[in-house]
Amino acid sequence: MIGNDIVDFKTAALQSNWQRRGFLKKLFSENEQSLIINSEFPERGLWLLWAMKEATYKAHQRRFKLPRSFNPKQFNCEIFSLENTSVLGKVQNQDFSYHTQTYIGEDYLHCIASQVQQKEITQKILTHSKDIKQELILAVSALKNLPKAKISLKKDCNFIPYLISDETSINCDFSLSHHGNFSAFVLSLTRC
Amino acid sequence: MSDKELLEKLKKIVTPYVQDKEGLENFDETTDFINDLQINSANLVDVVLDVEDEFDIEIDNDSMKDMLSVLDAKNIIQFKLAGK
Repeated sequence: MIGNDIVDFKTAALQSNWQRRGFLKKLFSENEQSLIINSEFPERGLWLLWAMKEATYKAHQRRFKLPRSFNPKQFNCEIFSLENTSVLGKVQNQDFSYHTQTYIGEDYLHCIASQVQQKEITQKILTHSKDIKQELILAVSALKNLPKAKISLKKDCNFIPYLISDETSINCDFSLSHHGNFSAFVLSLTRC
Repeated sequence: MSDKELLEKLKKIVTPYVQDKEGLENFDETTDFINDLQINSANLVDVVLDVEDEFDIEIDNDSMKDMLSVLDAKNIIQFKLAGK
């Protein structure tokens, strides 16, 4: 299963005061906190680790059809490699680990978490004004050879989104994300 | 503290983080922080921190993971206040 998370840096700076007392402590382990504080750009470091946790949470929730929960400290981040715009890492949630790949741009970062290191993923990142759900439907329509007009997006009892066509749910592994001016989807090509 | 007072305090706490202000008009126990108020997940921690300050209680990770609606928050706050 896959999950993704997008962070709009400008929006994040407006929405969150990460320097307030208790903020880092509630979300991150001591190791993660020192990674953040010691990084060249602490704010970017913070949102990188946050997105890794969020993307993993989504993949994990979808994988086991879990009810929602807000427990970021249960997800432990490790960074393997840091190149200009690409960060590879791993997130451990109890006995389960997920690979993460994060793109860090000028205005946003986007993280994809997956159970296995898979390359067969399609993704799209749009600015807010565009309709990401429609883009996802188009991609799934092409992939599964289903008429796009018949596909619609629903949420199950745990608020996990899924797609249906002709009242039958479509077996496909995807994740949606939205923050500030950006929205994104990832879609696994192998599981569909 | 009455339920009404508690809900009023809670409403005041969440208001700055609410992205769908219409959701505030029908603010009651059934209100969901994410689905009804569109509170960003990163701001859930601010709600928790503000609740801790306002009620002078500590919300541990176990409680925090369930604080996703007004009813959840009310139950957790009342439980913590009773144990003070």
